[in-house]
Amino acid sequence: MEKYLYIALFAPLVSSLFSALFTAQKKKQFVGVIASLLIFTAFASSTVLLVHILNGGEPIHVTLMTWMATGGLNIPFGFVVDEVSVVMMMVVTLVSTVVHIYSNGYMDHDKSFNRFFAWLSAFVFSMMVLVMSDNYAGLFIGWEGVGLCSWGLIGFWYNKESATWAANEAFIMNRIADLGMLIGLFLVYWNTGTLQYEEAFAAFPGLDHATLVWIGIFLFIGAMGKSAQFPLHTWLADAMEGPTPVSALIHAATMVTAGVYLVIRSHPLYDLIPNVGLFIASLGAFVAIFAASMALVNRDMKRIIAYSTLSQLGYMFAAAGLGAYWVALFHLMAHAFFKALLFLGAGNVMHAMHDELDPFKMGALKEKMKWTWIMMTIASFALAGVFPLAGFYSKDAILEVGFVEHHYIIYTVLLVTAGLTAFYSFRLVALIFHGEDRYTLFGIHPHEAYKFMLWAMSPLLILAIIAGAFQHTFFELVEEALNAVHYHIHSHVTLWIMIIGTQAFVLASIFYAYKKYARKGIKVPDGTSETEQSFLYKLLYNQYYIPYFYDEYFVKPYRELSSIFWKKVDLKVVDATVDGIAKVLYSTGSATRGMQSGNLSTMLRWMVVGLVVLLMIAVAVGLAARYSAELSQFLAGLGV
Amino acid sequence: MEIGLNHYLVLATILFGIGLYGVMRRKNLLMLFFATEILLNSVNIGFAAISHYYADLTGQMFAFFVIAIAASEVAVGLGLLIVWYKRHNSIDLDEMSVMRG
Amino acid sequence: MLDHILSILIFFPAVAGMLGFVVKPEGIRAYGITVAVVEFALSLVLWLGYDPSVSGMQFMETLPLVPSFGINYIVGVDGISLFIIILAAFFTMIGIASLPETKNEKNMIVTLLFLQMTMVGVFAALDAIAFYVFWELSLVPMLYIIGAWGGPLRIYASVKFFLYTFAGSLVMLVGMLFMAYFYYQVTGKWSFSLLDWYRLVLPESYQIWLFLAFFLGFAIKVPMFPFHTWLPYAHGQAPTIGSVILAAILLKMGTYAFIRFSLPLFPDASVFFMVPIAFLAIIMIIYTAMVAYAQEDIKQVVAYSSISHMGVIILGTFALNVEGISGSIFLMIGHGVVSGALFLLVGVIYERRHTKLMSEFGGLADVMPRYALIFGIMLMASVGLPLTINFVGEFLSFLGFYQQSHILTLVAGTAIIVGAIYMLAAFKKAFFGKVTKKENENLPDLNKRELLALIPLAIITVWLGVYPKPVLGPINSSVESVVELMHEKAQNPEYKKKIADVKAIKLARAAEVKEAK
Repeated sequence: MEKYLYIALFAPLVSSLFSALFTAQKKKQFVGVIASLLIFTAFASSTVLLVHILNGGEPIHVTLMTWMATGGLNIPFGFVVDEVSVVMMMVVTLVSTVVHIYSNGYMDHDKSFNRFFAWLSAFVFSMMVLVMSDNYAGLFIGWEGVGLCSWGLIGFWYNKESATWAANEAFIMNRIADLGMLIGLFLVYWNTGTLQYEEAFAAFPGLDHATLVWIGIFLFIGAMGKSAQFPLHTWLADAMEGPTPVSALIHAATMVTAGVYLVIRSHPLYDLIPNVGLFIASLGAFVAIFAASMALVNRDMKRIIAYSTLSQLGYMFAAAGLGAYWVALFHLMAHAFFKALLFLGAGNVMHAMHDELDPFKMGALKEKMKWTWIMMTIASFALAGVFPLAGFYSKDAILEVGFVEHHYIIYTVLLVTAGLTAFYSFRLVALIFHGEDRYTLFGIHPHEAYKFMLWAMSPLLILAIIAGAFQHTFFELVEEALNAVHYHIHSHVTLWIMIIGTQAFVLASIFYAYKKYARKGIKVPDGTSETEQSFLYKLLYNQYYIPYFYDEYFVKPYRELSSIFWKKVDLKVVDATVDGIAKVLYSTGSATRGMQSGNLSTMLRWMVVGLVVLLMIAVAVGLAARYSAELSQFLAGLGV
Repeated sequence: MEIGLNHYLVLATILFGIGLYGVMRRKNLLMLFFATEILLNSVNIGFAAISHYYADLTGQMFAFFVIAIAASEVAVGLGLLIVWYKRHNSIDLDEMSVMRG
Repeated sequence: MLDHILSILIFFPAVAGMLGFVVKPEGIRAYGITVAVVEFALSLVLWLGYDPSVSGMQFMETLPLVPSFGINYIVGVDGISLFIIILAAFFTMIGIASLPETKNEKNMIVTLLFLQMTMVGVFAALDAIAFYVFWELSLVPMLYIIGAWGGPLRIYASVKFFLYTFAGSLVMLVGMLFMAYFYYQVTGKWSFSLLDWYRLVLPESYQIWLFLAFFLGFAIKVPMFPFHTWLPYAHGQAPTIGSVILAAILLKMGTYAFIRFSLPLFPDASVFFMVPIAFLAIIMIIYTAMVAYAQEDIKQVVAYSSISHMGVIILGTFALNVEGISGSIFLMIGHGVVSGALFLLVGVIYERRHTKLMSEFGGLADVMPRYALIFGIMLMASVGLPLTINFVGEFLSFLGFYQQSHILTLVAGTAIIVGAIYMLAAFKKAFFGKVTKKENENLPDLNKRELLALIPLAIITVWLGVYPKPVLGPINSSVESVVELMHEKAQNPEYKKKIADVKAIKLARAAEVKEAK
């Protein structure tokens, strides 16, 4: 079994290195094919491992070699395939296989085709390291690795100013969170003496509560960055500058869920500190509704999906924070399927529309792009949580958790968010695919994507439909690893009211969205309508002015302060002091060089001056010695 | 009035002052030598007087040494002076400023 | 030969440099490269011969110079100095190999070889006077390199560099003389041998004054804030090779000396000054990182970033536990490799365009993809990404210091944020965007000579990031003995607690292993 672990882990690395060999060359089709094959190999190996674990096999644990060992620290490259990591491996490898194959078509005309696959496979490798590591340090390797690949892929079209800016923003924002994560690691190390999960988890119950709370908080700060939780969320929407397959893989299905994975993985820690858990859940619920509200009015197709990702991540954190780790993991998995599908569908639309992102400029695309329409509609239904698609099972479970745990505020917020989700998802679908065509005005001739791209998306489509059926299997799989419990609402009546009520609410939202946006006569908004003038619209459209606030109060002052530090402090104070000292010495020299006129008579005069001064000193010292007793008395009188 | 040690020392001091003034003010190298001689001899007077006062011959011995050294100094110095005069036709101190700082 | 390998390592380049004067001008480059390669091979022999299980000094040689005052030529290596010596040999080799066509090539190569002698000498010397002699001698070739081959402000920069560091080390010399005098007072014998000094236990008040005297010499060399202003000028004016050697090796002399002198000689004072020094280190990290962000000249960005990283090294050193000190030594090597490589890279573009202003570039990733790739790798190493050499050192340094102070580590840890900011911003300005300047459109990518120099550096960057054990192992055992010595020597019980008790940790670990069995 170990060999499958190695294959699953290293096939993406091989793929990345292989593709990297051709980065400087023109597009080579075989690079994409081989990369896809290698990622598929990783997927196949992960499947073998999943079957192994499903059949009750022991978790597989390997240690490759020591990474860092000094003092009391010993960090190996250790990898583990257990119930939790195998689920993540499946999600990662499946979505990345799909995305790799899809990218062969999507990046078809890009001159940096080969480089794209190098980065994409490197990302898969980092993600595998992240989920398979058996210690926090290894997790951190993957953590930073995915950050790097995300930087490279967001800024993939590096000639675009906005893309490189977004790449840097994402990297730096993640770095802020990574500092929190690092501090969390330090706390774990100095309190338990190890960074291995097993040993650390075993030691956690023996630590005092305050320490555990700090560990929990700092690790969660790390998770907040990667999973783009408030207030570190702005990078995710900007990250949509990257190619769409990247958005599907990294900024929807896998990397952004790494934070959720971290919380799930550290569940023995968060079990001990339910107050931090409650904070996580509250923040999650807040982000869910906060992000959903921004998606309501946005006019950028990819950003709308990005906000929806953010919102769904909030759901996951809400579940994880309330201790329902298995529910969070299940939603993570289901979300990966339908969100990746949604993004890839959006990619098809973008291709068809020549990179136009404003859904108001589309409309009636369902005739031209039948399959994309079907896929995106089903994915949106799944996202909205309509029975019997994947999202229904996972999202409903989260709502139940909130209800059963008696956190009614969280429950209500999440419920409202579900309605908002349904609304903005179908606002998008209606604007893109229904109504009358508005694109002809812009001279665009849309066409359906390549067949094989649609085929590549089909596994996701199927999973988005049927993943809910595996809920029970999934529960059994992670039951032991995550101390999973079923959240039963005791009264059947309540349960049915809840389910039917939620469904009705969601369907009503969908219906409303259709009614509002699928009608004829939708105009491309030009900022003059009454809605657009309203305060609320502006607030939402400008993302609550948070990016503006960050730019105005963090970025600009930082730049100005840097400039002041350089031009004023470093050059005018610190360096000027040093030069000032040198100048004093130098000018003393210039001033006194007059003595050295070379004139014998001047020198003799100076000699006499020196003689007199020395004599006076000698006399003074002699007198002082002679009258030392009296002097000290005198000085004592002065209080010296 | 008995002439005592103090008188000698006052004489030595006055001579020293004259010599010092000469050293500082004279621009002629030859005059400088004279002034130096006055300086040295004022010290010699001091040595001799104190030596007599303490009845210790060390001071007088020192005076002899000083005389010897002064003599040799003048010999060498005058030699250099003559050479300089032959080259530059002047022994003005202000013109000897090759070693300017 | 192994018995005298250190002396050979020190003096072979100098002797070869002297002989270099008679080599014909056409052959001098080949000659220089040969000598540097032989020297590097010798340093590898040293590594092979080094016994990692021994924590103390190896390959010791002693030659009396002024026995009546206890001044001897004593050299030896341990895990702390071994890799810096190898690094010095390596960078001289890389530097000579990648040397672009310059005027007075012969003088340059002879100077470099002479510089190599002084560098190896500093790290091998175990006698304070010998150390001091090499330390000061190293200024001379650097002064010449900056002054003769530098930019328009070269005289100002080189004189500033020389006088500033020289002034600091004079104070250090006074400290050394006092140490020897104190040794004489206690034992009745003069000695400048470090190993003798290690056995001295000084009263706390003495330690504090001596620590300050040594500190001034070392801090200027590092350079620590606020003594850092000579460095941007030196880097700004120096030719590429000068910057490379300066950043990669010469700066490490300061941090190395902290570990070699300050910590084991003055353990109480080290604890006493830990917090103030940590504050200075934090200022270095954040302040210079911000200054780096404001720069317009890409070489100045690298220069200031170099100061910022040195702050992390200082922080790790004053963690006073094995993790931190090992980390700081490892970071010295990492920083040497990475900043050396970055200066080489800046030199590449300077040679092509004769400007270092970032506004002159933009879109270089299109024109010079290989260059962008290697720059990118080094950038990521500089930012401290895991699996690159710098991460290991930074992680361990911060980890170590976290034991001493949580808050200060949290503040200092912003290094990973501010470091990313200026590096990514600089990379974006130079490499991303569109090619706007006509001159940049046809810039040639890296040629063979440059690749020859840069690829090994890239390989080391990744190799030691993935598998630091061959280097970290020997460092660890030597650092353990240093920390153990400090713990034993510390007198103030308050302070003793702050220094890690290696023996207890080892015992606990042994007990754990036993239990596991």
